[in-house]
Amino acid sequence: MTAIRVIVNGAEVIDNVAPRTSLGDWLREGRNLTGTHLACEHGVCGACTVLVDGEPIRACLMLAAAGEGSEVRTIEGFDADPLMMALRDAFHRRHALQCGFCTSGMLITAWDLIRRGKASSAAEIRRGLAGNICRCTGYTNIVAAIAEAATAAEGVGDGE
Amino acid sequence: MANDAGGAAAGIGASLLRREDERHLLGRGSFVPDIKLPGTMEVAFVRSPHAHARIRGIAKPAGGERRVFTAADLPRLRPIRVETQAPGAKSPPWPPLATDKVRYVGEAIAACLAPTRAEAEDLAAQITVDYEPLAAVVDAPRDMQGSRHPVHEGWSDNLFSERVFAGGDIEAAARAAEITVRREYRMNRQSGAPLEGRAVLAYRDWRLDEIVIHASTQTPHTLRVAIGEILGIDLRRLRVVAPDVGGGFGPKARLYPEEIILAALALELDQPLRWVEDRTEHLLTAAHSRDHHYQVTAYASRDGRILGIDAEIVVDAGAYGLWPQGPYQEAAMAARCLPGPYAIANYRCRALTVATNKTPMGPYRGVGRPGACFAIERTIDEVARAAGRDPVEVRMLNIVRPEQMPFTSIGGMRFDNGNYPESLRLCAELLDLPGLRSRQRRGEPDGRLIGIGFAVFAEQTAHGAAEFVARGAAIVPGFESCTARILPDGSLVLMVGIQSHGQGLETALSQIAHHELGIDPARIAVRHGDTETSAFGFGTFASRSMVMSGGAVARASRALRDKLNRIGAHLLQCDVAAVRCRDGAVRGPQGSVSIAEIAKVAHLRMDGLPPGVDPLLEAVATYEPAVGTGVFSYATHGAVVAVDPETGFVELLDFAVAEDCGTMINPMLVEGQIRGGVVQGIGTALYEEIPYDEAGQPLAGTLADYLMPGAAEMPAIKIGHLHTPAAATEYGMKGMGEGGAVGPPAAIANAVRDALSALGAEVNETPITPRRVLAAIEQARFRVGGPTG
Amino acid sequence: MKAAAFDYVRPRNVAAAVDLLAADKGQAQLLAGGQSLLPLLNLRLASPARLIDISRLPELAMTDEDDATVTLGAGVTHAMIEDRRVPDPSQGLMPHVALGLAYRAVRNRGTLGGSLALADPAAEWPAVLAALEAEIGVVGPNGRRRLSGTNFATGIYATRLAEDEIVTALRIPKLSRAARWGYAKLARKAGAFADALAVAVADPRRGYGRVVLGAANGPPLVMTEAGRALAGTRRDPEQLRRAVETDLDSAADRRFDAYQRRLHRAAAMRAIVQVIQ
Repeated sequence: MTAIRVIVNGAEVIDNVAPRTSLGDWLREGRNLTGTHLACEHGVCGACTVLVDGEPIRACLMLAAAGEGSEVRTIEGFDADPLMMALRDAFHRRHALQCGFCTSGMLITAWDLIRRGKASSAAEIRRGLAGNICRCTGYTNIVAAIAEAATAAEGVGDGE
Repeated sequence: MANDAGGAAAGIGASLLRREDERHLLGRGSFVPDIKLPGTMEVAFVRSPHAHARIRGIAKPAGGERRVFTAADLPRLRPIRVETQAPGAKSPPWPPLATDKVRYVGEAIAACLAPTRAEAEDLAAQITVDYEPLAAVVDAPRDMQGSRHPVHEGWSDNLFSERVFAGGDIEAAARAAEITVRREYRMNRQSGAPLEGRAVLAYRDWRLDEIVIHASTQTPHTLRVAIGEILGIDLRRLRVVAPDVGGGFGPKARLYPEEIILAALALELDQPLRWVEDRTEHLLTAAHSRDHHYQVTAYASRDGRILGIDAEIVVDAGAYGLWPQGPYQEAAMAARCLPGPYAIANYRCRALTVATNKTPMGPYRGVGRPGACFAIERTIDEVARAAGRDPVEVRMLNIVRPEQMPFTSIGGMRFDNGNYPESLRLCAELLDLPGLRSRQRRGEPDGRLIGIGFAVFAEQTAHGAAEFVARGAAIVPGFESCTARILPDGSLVLMVGIQSHGQGLETALSQIAHHELGIDPARIAVRHGDTETSAFGFGTFASRSMVMSGGAVARASRALRDKLNRIGAHLLQCDVAAVRCRDGAVRGPQGSVSIAEIAKVAHLRMDGLPPGVDPLLEAVATYEPAVGTGVFSYATHGAVVAVDPETGFVELLDFAVAEDCGTMINPMLVEGQIRGGVVQGIGTALYEEIPYDEAGQPLAGTLADYLMPGAAEMPAIKIGHLHTPAAATEYGMKGMGEGGAVGPPAAIANAVRDALSALGAEVNETPITPRRVLAAIEQARFRVGGPTG
Repeated sequence: MKAAAFDYVRPRNVAAAVDLLAADKGQAQLLAGGQSLLPLLNLRLASPARLIDISRLPELAMTDEDDATVTLGAGVTHAMIEDRRVPDPSQGLMPHVALGLAYRAVRNRGTLGGSLALADPAAEWPAVLAALEAEIGVVGPNGRRRLSGTNFATGIYATRLAEDEIVTALRIPKLSRAARWGYAKLARKAGAFADALAVAVADPRRGYGRVVLGAANGPPLVMTEAGRALAGTRRDPEQLRRAVETDLDSAADRRFDAYQRRLHRAAAMRAIVQVIQ
């Protein structure tokens, strides 16, 4: 077992993990943060996307042990985040989710696209979503929702 | 994220926002793998690496007792067996854990238990199976009449079933034909690939004396029936719960060995057991789909009128039949849909369902129709080409016209109503066909070739008893049920037998109850997917849930409304004929009484009830549409592609759907279903395939090999609606969940054909990969140079 | 599937990592970003006894720059290149390549050194760094050495790196401002591995021309005739096309089928056209 100390959604967690445990499995099974979904476990589908030290990563392609000293943020850790609130609202109003299994990863990827200023057009959003598979919606509404949240975020910035 | 339900904007026809969204947006959904029970043992399966082999022996590691279970350790497991009344159909037994033989790569042989999945896999890796490999049956058309080692003992051939569908006089059509078009088509094998794979959590509840099975399934009630039957225990001792389900699309509407095995283990062991399918297991062992081979001959007049279709359909159904409907429905549905939405007088089709050493075939969005649509719509385009006419014109010439409705096609489909030609016209308009044709003439600056293609289809939905009895089905999913219960505070619970896994049925069904009772949808709960809470129902598949379950909700709501009116009239001291239930209250000539007040009387103050009226506000209703053969949604799909003749790469530039599904309860949800279906259809058309090699090894085991459509390659999908309410259903609804996936392969293949017309190349196989496009171009080059050119 | 069991160690520095690797010869594997290794572990296609995590060694994240070269530590991630958080020797080629490499969440962890050491034939960096004639710095029990980036990969998942060596840095000659590059990746989906991949670079001031194919049934394929033609001053498309055909003819050992050959030709010509237009 490997001892780790990780900040998860703002709170320090100290744990012992089997070296082979992925960050995704540790969050789900060890921390009960089941909003992070595992759908392929080989890095293609994007359902398990979480933030590590502020950047989106695949929780299935990182060992929990390698997370030592990092700050991890999962979908459960965005409840008070204004940009995430805007995204959630846009996803709701635009019917950008159906079964909900890809949604956590979609939202975190979208959050990062907007934060980096990479959501300026439908085409740019679509490229930015290339690593997140949605099997239900056909993407049209997801793209529209992200575009809307991006515009809203820009508007807030302009007003300041 | 308050539910934006407000008065008039919440009833039938309103794009009410979904009540399902909040939990998923917050990451608080509850899928099977999210449910935690202390002491749960994880299960990993030992699976066959061979397509076809005898099992000579299984060696377990020391200490494997009570941790490794083979068929011999679970005598309770009886084989899955599909009953069918279809004439001549064969139904082989399928042991949930292989006994003496394995018949496809991935077939389960042993279940291994450990505290974590990783350790369970470690254990599985220690089990040695002694195999005697046998030659595998992998080529359905080649091996269907027999092979050295047939898939099933005692069979002289490899046919699950063979049927001929015929009408009119095909020989006469052949004699009269001025144009004869012959083509071979192939829609290759693929996966349904919901984002969440299958999952099962089973445990014994001692207090209730039952086995509880949480499963990622579309059909909890019938799953319970099957498990009870196979394990030989009373259904009262089985509860099946489908919580949040991360997509289904058909593959999760079947009984699987893993569900039976975990239930059996839960009976055996006093601890919860969980199996979560990984992606490779999904691609190898969850129901595969499509895998149709067609030979089609079309006879037509000089102007392109179709006189007859003569066809053979071979469906490669894999090794076993999945319960309850077996492997038969693909070929039969395809054969009945092959004549399409056209008035064709003469038809002959031999439909063969073939057993091979591959993963069993199951339903996937569209069941049989995408292949049939692909075959007929490609053929129509070739007839048009032979007639020297535009494919749109030739479709218009042959399509069933509104004044012919109701129309029974030569395939035996009874189209109820609609304006099919108008959908074609509207779709062409959505794409700006004239604009595209002139762009096509101008040519592209980058040298790519533009093509436009269409596909028209009618889709049987919400079929009832008549349809399933005619199929010889073992169970007849002809109805749905709803238990509607108003609670003492006036809020409403709808308990339904379907299972919503993305369709938004929690929202849409509440809209129907709102329409009937005026209760704010925010005060309506919809409970589904649990054998404990609802009366029996069949689940969600076959584009049936809104029509069937919505019908049951309407009926149960009306029964409640009658009782509310009686109690309300009594409280208002007026005649029941003088009251109306509206906007959450019973209103009389003078004054009104709210449903909450009536509910209080019905539960807490029975002294206020009128004489002869029992307490409680609860109604159970079932619903079957007035027509058992289904109501038909229809649509035209149009695709615009750019084909790079140098690389064979196909880019989808635009896609439009012009459709009619009768009355839309929630247009937002309808459009969501269409777009999602279309992108799955695009996956079939361009990306998704599970090829097998000659030894029966599947070659797509990860999402790196199995390509699924991504946002970057998909266009925004345009939708136009027509509105022809059905006569046979509540509110005029028609089912529409599957249609989106039916048209894209045909429309895209026709667009590719259109793009390559100058080169004379056509691609008649899905997915239309760059390799296949280039091969078609090469082939056309040789043909042009050859004697027939 | 879940990975088979392994030990996990995180050395403090490169020297310690080298010692660990030498001590566990054949049993241990380096873990950098893990974006290729973790899928293999999860699918149990690889099962090392021990993983040596070098993903956060400061020495491997170093960057340096002089007039003629840029040095990038092996631990530099694709995202750092994409975002130009590290110096770019390539007049924009490397950030452009990074942008189309897998997905952002993968680029945030995947590293330059990891990509080179793995030598996946369909990967981008081996071909790009061959076209830029990068030098690869490695360290092992016998000390440091430099290897040519042009023939660093020797086959499919095979390199000149010894079993006990670690890639530490890439030394990449700077392209001049007058240099031009072209890049064509033919993949069926954005972010997917390439079916064909070509890099073309011409720096007329140095008389430098390179055309390299990736996804070429083996290590990056340096197209010598096309590179020579591209280095010249009179660059005729027809002559370049013939050069590409000649190079493809002489790559018989790659056993391209008709489809692959056609795709490689298209990718090469597209990259070349971007340079000469």
